[in-house]
Amino acid sequence: MTDYLRYLLKRLGQFALVVFIGVNLAYVITHATPIDPVEQSIAAVTSFGNTSPDAIADMRRSLQELYGLKGGQVEQYAAFWSRIVRGDFGPSLSAFPTPVSSLILRALPWTVGLLVTSTLIAWVIGNLLGGLAGYYRHNRGLKALGVIAMGLHPVPYYIIALVLLIVFGFVWPLLPISGGAAMNLQPGWSWAFVSSVIRHSTLPALSLILIGLGGWFLGTRALVSNVITEDYVSYAEIAGVDDGRILISYVMRNALAPQLTGLAMSLGGIFNGAVITEKVFGYPGMGTLLVDAVYAGDYGLVLGVTTVSIVGVSLAVFIIDLLYPLIDPRVQVR
Amino acid sequence: MKCAHAWLMAAMGLAIGLGSLRDVEAQGIPQNIPRQELLILENPEGTIKNAGWFNIWAINAGSQSNGLQQAALDTLWYIDPEKGLEGAWDNSLAAEKPDYNADFTQMRVKLRRGLFWSDGVEFSSADVKATVDIQIQHPGMRFSAVLANNVASVEVPDADTVIFKLKRPNSRFHANFTVRWGAIWILPKHVFEKVEDPLKFDFNRPVSLSAYTLHSYDADGKWYIWQRRDDWQRTSLGRYGKPGPTYLAYVDPGPPDKRVIAQLNHELDVIHDIAPEGMFTLARQSKTTTAWFRGFPYAHPDPTLAGVIFNTQHEYLSNKDVRWALALMIDVKVVAMAAYRGAATISAIAVPPTGVHPEAYHKPMEGWVKEFEIDTGKSRFKPYDPTTGKQIADMLRPSMADAIPSEPAVIANSFGLGWWRTNLPAAGELLERAGFKKVDGQWMTPDGKPFVLKLMVEGDLRPVMTRAGSMIVQQWKQAGIDARLDVAQGTLITRRAAGDFDAFIGWSVETWGGHNDLSYFMDSWHSTFVAEPGKPQPLRNWQRWKHPDLDQIIEETRKIGFDDPRAVELGREYVKLMVREMPIIPVMAYNVFTAMDHTYWTGFPSSDNPYANPVPNWGNSRYMYVRLKPAN
Repeated sequence: MTDYLRYLLKRLGQFALVVFIGVNLAYVITHATPIDPVEQSIAAVTSFGNTSPDAIADMRRSLQELYGLKGGQVEQYAAFWSRIVRGDFGPSLSAFPTPVSSLILRALPWTVGLLVTSTLIAWVIGNLLGGLAGYYRHNRGLKALGVIAMGLHPVPYYIIALVLLIVFGFVWPLLPISGGAAMNLQPGWSWAFVSSVIRHSTLPALSLILIGLGGWFLGTRALVSNVITEDYVSYAEIAGVDDGRILISYVMRNALAPQLTGLAMSLGGIFNGAVITEKVFGYPGMGTLLVDAVYAGDYGLVLGVTTVSIVGVSLAVFIIDLLYPLIDPRVQVR
Repeated sequence: MKCAHAWLMAAMGLAIGLGSLRDVEAQGIPQNIPRQELLILENPEGTIKNAGWFNIWAINAGSQSNGLQQAALDTLWYIDPEKGLEGAWDNSLAAEKPDYNADFTQMRVKLRRGLFWSDGVEFSSADVKATVDIQIQHPGMRFSAVLANNVASVEVPDADTVIFKLKRPNSRFHANFTVRWGAIWILPKHVFEKVEDPLKFDFNRPVSLSAYTLHSYDADGKWYIWQRRDDWQRTSLGRYGKPGPTYLAYVDPGPPDKRVIAQLNHELDVIHDIAPEGMFTLARQSKTTTAWFRGFPYAHPDPTLAGVIFNTQHEYLSNKDVRWALALMIDVKVVAMAAYRGAATISAIAVPPTGVHPEAYHKPMEGWVKEFEIDTGKSRFKPYDPTTGKQIADMLRPSMADAIPSEPAVIANSFGLGWWRTNLPAAGELLERAGFKKVDGQWMTPDGKPFVLKLMVEGDLRPVMTRAGSMIVQQWKQAGIDARLDVAQGTLITRRAAGDFDAFIGWSVETWGGHNDLSYFMDSWHSTFVAEPGKPQPLRNWQRWKHPDLDQIIEETRKIGFDDPRAVELGREYVKLMVREMPIIPVMAYNVFTAMDHTYWTGFPSSDNPYANPVPNWGNSRYMYVRLKPAN
């Protein structure tokens, strides 16, 4: 067995363990919620009109049976894992009997589309500019960018989002401020729909890029500032290697390794959705699904979303662990 | 210089590019539908996660107020919380009022003929029977329990007659088929009889019985568009003329700030509710926005009474002296300012000050309330201050100027009549009679511990009520109670049913608004329904309060007809009992800031023309459709 294969199996074992522990924790936490999905459903039903207390008692019994809440904790736990291994999260209690997986699959493309795009854009621009700013420390333009990044970075996200909303939605109403696409457009690969999706995602994406960019910029600038003091960089300079090659091959390659881990973590974390973005911009996605599920006591749905998220983050870390020895030769596989 | 020129050119290019986007697509309105034929309304349920589900008879599975219950479904009767088009009571699918036998064990209904489902099948008594039978046969459905509890059988001697045989006398059985906010909607037999399991049937696309039918919807649950039926005359709404809008869009416009922006941009014709500050912004900045009241307090008062609900199974709150003491520590003017910035309609008695109730209860009973006396054992006093509503108006006048009415009748209608005067010495005397002692400014319980009282609020989910609760807690603290705010967020519903609270801000009194019978909420307050501590309490007696006099009122109400004048007399007995016992502290109507934009449509209801409830998630808001006209 090669060293790399042994390394892979070890990481795979860690990945499986993390997922198992994470899902179990999520199970315990969601089942400890004081919100009773049956009472939530009864409240929704009885808001309709005059329901006699006798009828409500009957309704409570029927719902407990329907939602599968009548068995003991051990039975419910066993049923949960037997479903999970089949990739079935069961029905949503707040949208009964629709399967949780259907709700997640409907929301996931919006979340992935928006967050992957904005995370990658912010990562690429932030690291590129941060790298340049760290390497060309005396460039006035890049210094000014540093000041902007430092100013923007600590601003709370919702402030940026609301400012964009007011500026481009009200003062200078150029871009849509709500929804994933224009109403009454047939979803599909038509130009009308695709362009509408792009327009609707512009403001949410811009808000995420603006807030994400500063962190990557400052991080890479700091890393590059360290790397350029390394002996091998000084040696390359003395040896007359040209600036561009030093920047790309000697400096950025080394500085980007930790940033790649950060990117993987960010990409893994997108499965949680961006709750504030979705709320502020009325954008569809996993965040709203999760928050609504928490309020409704719909632990089937909460577990579904958190399980996807746990697997997403763990998988991202696992992949990065596998790639690291290939990217950075200093990492030992033994 | 060249550099500056390049920047300028780039900026101009960007501006032109962005500017052209405006021509390509308006911001937030449906595409390919003429705006002047479209009414856009807020669906307060927000984003619907199960958007393609239209089977409203399955419990909590999809949206209800996405236009489904307002525009597409229908039932036997409606009671408008306001005056209605031709009176608050409307025979909708039924041709006349319910006809009970002498002992209220049978209800006979005569149906209208000539009404059709949107797929061309004629509506008949078979649909009503199927609505009952299918739900009784499938216990997990929305109305299964209530129907199984009440109905022995349904007979349909002909296509336009339905006879409900009841399991026991119930003089208010028709209330189940009478829309307040919603009701038991009639389902299409010809569709559901072919369905194997109605619990798992999505009813997509829905067959409509009312004037609109589904045009399109967003799979992600952000919007639903309904189109007026070509044969709208063959629906019950057709009696009132052609509905104005060809299309209705029920949308999720997002948080309150965005609703205000959307209406200022004329992209949201009817806002369901916003914060008072949002309403004031619209009143100031939009020339085309109106609300229920022409000026302050703008909001539509729902027939729902917000107040402090005590858990009367609590060791100390079971004592009416303690409850009254807590009421006398409150300055309702400050609470109204904190909650609604003054835009509240207060009520001292346990009936919402809205609809027909002020004429039946508040005004005729004001004499009795004025003379009502509390004897603390040390002093006697009359706690009612008839000028409270006027005082709130006077407090607001310096800042709101002309928006505040000056005529006493209008003030009474808008801000309410009087309330209980703050009286800390009397509150102290009542607490002392209950065995409490004040030590160093702090009230101690009879066993010598600080009197800790937690007031549960919903938090961000219901900000106006949370503000009211925060202010009441502050006032109790100032009076020497160790009062604390208990923010329940999403757990309120579960904790309310479990009785896991000392007191909370909310409501247990909901009425028809357009009809003076109080049994809508009162029947469920009978002592037989009060749960033991720790057991779930059926709605709506969240205060878990029982009293033999109340049982007597309820039992007598059950024996008389819905329109019997005695019902109002019994209602007044209930009011007096509530004043004496104070199991809840009535505060104000649940005001809803429904804002209506007149840019594209005119004819919205208002307090001057109260033909319907404008709050767009209520089933009876459908009556708006037939009065709306395009605004040129």
